[in-house]
Amino acid sequence: MSSDAVVHLIDDDAAVRQSLAFLLATAGHAVRVHESALAFLENLEGLQPGCIVSDVRMPGMDGLALQRRLRELGVKLPMIIMTGHADVALAVEAMKAGAVDFIEKPFDDDLLLGAIAVALERRGDAAAQDSETARTRERLERLTEREREVLEGLLAGRPNKTIAYDLGISPRTVEIHRANVMTKMGARNLATLVRMTLAARA
Amino acid sequence: MARAGPPTPQTDSAADDTGRLVERDALLTSILETVPDAMIVIDAQGIIQTLSATAERLFGYRAADLIGRNVSILMPDADRRRHDQYIDRYLRTAEPRIIGIGRVVVGLRKNGDTFPMHLSVGEAHTAERRLFTGFVRDLTERQEFQQRLTELQSELAHMARATALGEMASTLAHELNQPLTAVANYLKGSRRLLESGTPDAVGRASEAIDLAADQALRAGEIIRRLREFVARGESEQRVEPLIRLVEEAAALALIGAQEYGVRAAFAFDPAADFVLADRIQIQQILVNLIRNAMDAMHESPRRDLTVSTHRLDRDTIRVDVADTGPGIAPLIADQLFQPFVTTKAHGLGVGLSISRTIAQAQGGELWVDAREGGGAVFRLTLKSARRAAAAEVEGAHEL
Repeated sequence: MSSDAVVHLIDDDAAVRQSLAFLLATAGHAVRVHESALAFLENLEGLQPGCIVSDVRMPGMDGLALQRRLRELGVKLPMIIMTGHADVALAVEAMKAGAVDFIEKPFDDDLLLGAIAVALERRGDAAAQDSETARTRERLERLTEREREVLEGLLAGRPNKTIAYDLGISPRTVEIHRANVMTKMGARNLATLVRMTLAARA
Repeated sequence: MARAGPPTPQTDSAADDTGRLVERDALLTSILETVPDAMIVIDAQGIIQTLSATAERLFGYRAADLIGRNVSILMPDADRRRHDQYIDRYLRTAEPRIIGIGRVVVGLRKNGDTFPMHLSVGEAHTAERRLFTGFVRDLTERQEFQQRLTELQSELAHMARATALGEMASTLAHELNQPLTAVANYLKGSRRLLESGTPDAVGRASEAIDLAADQALRAGEIIRRLREFVARGESEQRVEPLIRLVEEAAALALIGAQEYGVRAAFAFDPAADFVLADRIQIQQILVNLIRNAMDAMHESPRRDLTVSTHRLDRDTIRVDVADTGPGIAPLIADQLFQPFVTTKAHGLGVGLSISRTIAQAQGGELWVDAREGGGAVFRLTLKSARRAAAAEVEGAHEL
């Protein structure tokens, strides 16, 4: 990976921290570990460029609060959020706040390493982002009315069952629409779908 | 007010007495009209003497319709038959089970609706007779609903654990995913190392694999702790009076029943008297089953909930919770007790699987049958407590 880039890893669980540092090291990343959001904020001075990989649920300050704080401070490191409990609403909130990706624990190493690669590439590449936005808008146009309704439900952070209830259709039908939305949008997971849709609308 | 006060010392004039009586009557009337609690005064035969305006509204009767009737008219069938015995027993033994104590019971309105209420009873002696005054608080009242629920949770401590069933799944997912994440990271990293063929790869990878194994054991430890949380050993089992256990759980679960338009009926088998069980855990199951039944009937034209008890044999007692909902599709009946299977729009699908685990840990079983005429019946078996053993502790456990 980029020689000067550092992955800043924030997780309150020591085993997760150590194992992830080990994994990232075997993949050739330079890693700094922090046991809490506050500990990370204390060491902001002389912060090395790169990206942040942070847990959501942590004592003291959680991942989302850290995200807000960093924005206030004008720190523009791309951030990947990890969660031990798949919560769609949380994912949507994180993505809206500008997270690069939202990854559910436990995860495949390729998934995280891929997200880190995207995060590190993203620094300062505005032109690429514009073309991506245009592509997303095109794809949004191709959705059917129903698919768009399901997408809205997903963006609002609702689980399939609730969306089904709201639209008066079966959860299975929602699953099918959701799968179609993912395919048409070319999104490999919900977090990506939320991120690209929100970016296109901004 | 039901307390007659000390006998008046002066008896010099009958007119004075009459005056005092009139005054006292006026006082009583004004109290009954303004007291915010529903208040009902009965005599030792259970006959209603007088009641407050709030009580009229609460039960949907006019005072004139109730005065002179047996108070059991305000109770569901099962209690109705037993109320006279309750009074008799108290008059005979002078052993209070509700007087001065108060408990949550089920009330019956004129229109047939049942509702959870908190009842406390005071006793008064006059020269000629004994009177009992009941104070009733409706636990379904909207503005108090949340607060009351919270109070009940802390008072009785079981709803807290019932709610915990749902939250537990979320906590569990988080807790378990930490070591699982570590295991995956260590193993994936080890593979990368081994593939890289660097000189110290094998040594570093073996260390990482050891750490992965430690984390797998940590995951196991979390599951073990969960088991202990769900079914806390047999030490908590006691001889419990079944009717009271069921009534309390039902009253709790029926909070808000009015909004569901559910009618609750109880049928208690007199031979199913005592069980050997952890009361709180069994109540947790019953609250869960009754709540499920109420949810299931949400869209049914008929919403009858029936809780009944049955003695099966010397050692076994069964409690049935029957509803008139759509019933359980045969396809899902087999998986219903598996974790994370649910028919609800919201819900994690852990309630029934945990309930069954608890039932089995208590030496019982939990299963579902189709109700005759539509709907579902959840059946819970419990260990019967031998009568002899029960007699020894009866006083200690009943109010």
